[in-house]
Amino acid sequence: MNKKPSKKSSSIENYSHLELFNLGKIFFKEKKFIDFRSKGNRSGFEAIKDINLKIEKNTFVSIIGPSGCGKSTLLNLIAGLQAPTSGKIVIDGQAIKGPGPDRGVIFQNYALMPWLTTIQNIEFALNTVFPAKTKADVKERARKYLRMVGLEKASNKFPKELSGGMKQRVAIARALSINPNMLLMDEPFGALDALTRSYLQDELLSIWRKNKVTVVLITHSIEEALLLSDKIVLMSSGPSAIISEEISVDLERPRDREKIEQDPNYLKIKMRLEKHLLRETRAVEEVT
Amino acid sequence: MNKAISTRLTFAVAILSLLIFIILWQVIAQQGLLVKNFPGSFKTIGSLIWWVSDPFFDNGPNDLGIGTNLLISLRRVLIGYSLAVLVAVPLGVLMGMSKLAQSSLNPYVQLLKPVSPLAWLPVGLFVFRNSEITGIFVIFITSIWPTLINTAFGVASINPDYLRVSKSLGASKSTTIRRVILPAIMPNILAGMRISMGTAWLVIVAAEMLLGTGIGYFIWNEWNNLSLENIFVAIIIIGFTGFILDQFFGFLQDKFDYSI
Repeated sequence: MNKKPSKKSSSIENYSHLELFNLGKIFFKEKKFIDFRSKGNRSGFEAIKDINLKIEKNTFVSIIGPSGCGKSTLLNLIAGLQAPTSGKIVIDGQAIKGPGPDRGVIFQNYALMPWLTTIQNIEFALNTVFPAKTKADVKERARKYLRMVGLEKASNKFPKELSGGMKQRVAIARALSINPNMLLMDEPFGALDALTRSYLQDELLSIWRKNKVTVVLITHSIEEALLLSDKIVLMSSGPSAIISEEISVDLERPRDREKIEQDPNYLKIKMRLEKHLLRETRAVEEVT
Repeated sequence: MNKAISTRLTFAVAILSLLIFIILWQVIAQQGLLVKNFPGSFKTIGSLIWWVSDPFFDNGPNDLGIGTNLLISLRRVLIGYSLAVLVAVPLGVLMGMSKLAQSSLNPYVQLLKPVSPLAWLPVGLFVFRNSEITGIFVIFITSIWPTLINTAFGVASINPDYLRVSKSLGASKSTTIRRVILPAIMPNILAGMRISMGTAWLVIVAAEMLLGTGIGYFIWNEWNNLSLENIFVAIIIIGFTGFILDQFFGFLQDKFDYSI
């Protein structure tokens, strides 16, 4: 691995990697040029409110909650893709102002550019983040990350020629190629079948072990969260979703997906999560 | 059914229907069933062969080979059309990206789009005092709308994931436009360009009847000569050229179709 000169080497770390303070997001309806009905007061949809959270360096944190609870909104805010309405996001002691290459983002629908080949998709990220790098450098680095996800042979294929799992592996390679110290994943395995999903979860764990990154994973799968995370953040149902609980998952690593299900501690946390999710989902379903 | 036989059959049916059409046309014309002196298919085919065998002669502006006239028309279309694309694509991207540009330009687009481009012909003649430039100007006006509207629509309906990736990498606006938006909307741009080309090829014939020279003027000239078979020759050649142009864009569209 080459060194990361861009990263701050802070010897005295009195702050967490990622800190959220009273974070809130309200989506305002777009105001029409002529709007007779709503004069003056702009009413909006409050997705999340008063989110306070600390995530330590190199930990794996899952955010779980009923659908529509604002999980993705939270991730978009951390990624800097949207600006919060209130509160602030602090990374390594610095409030963020927008997106940055210190955070790699992975989307549910892979978000590969269909007009670029696999390797070109990664090169696009590299060229954007490191404009000074030479062509050969970029190519070599792109190849290295494709090799890491086991797709070197598919480097000249277009996304449409790849399976869903392969596409997501390319997206992971793309996100990691820019050398982020945080990986933000928005239900990355949600669209994959169960087998591919298990395979990619294992893959992700081994990448996480090797690459030293903080991972924030949005998921609606309790098993996935339990298998992967150090900490699980539970969100209440939206609108105005809050963090209702933070659960530390102190199960030993490496975790074996077959054996872990026998662990009484695992079952205890799983029951607790299921109860919570059921309650919150019921709240969603009975309101609408 | 076997596929090879099926294609061969389709081909045979096509040839047969063409033969029937030619014979029917000849019979109807010969018997004077339509009007007197209506040219038959044999006479028209004879003219076609005559025009095509020496397409590029030049005996003054009222007696040009059909190939020369065709090239004149094509040149006008290509210049006016290219200028239109050069204006329409950036303007369309701007309209698709900016609400302000959209709301300030869209009324003009909606107002001008339904107007026949030929209405601009006298304006062009008055301003440019030159039939050549006026022809190009009319084609420019014709070609601009479909490409503009398709481009703007393409930008407005671009997959937001691409933009989010670009934004999350911290890409500049110009990088996003060049490396993400333009390639993403290539199918929309080409669809617009195909419609623009089709319309431009329709309009040039009408415009040239009033401008002198070109394939449209050829038709007008042959009407003055009362030579209907030469008009049919021109119709066949215009149709064939339009078909080739359209196929060219169809080919480009297939190249840039990301979905297959």
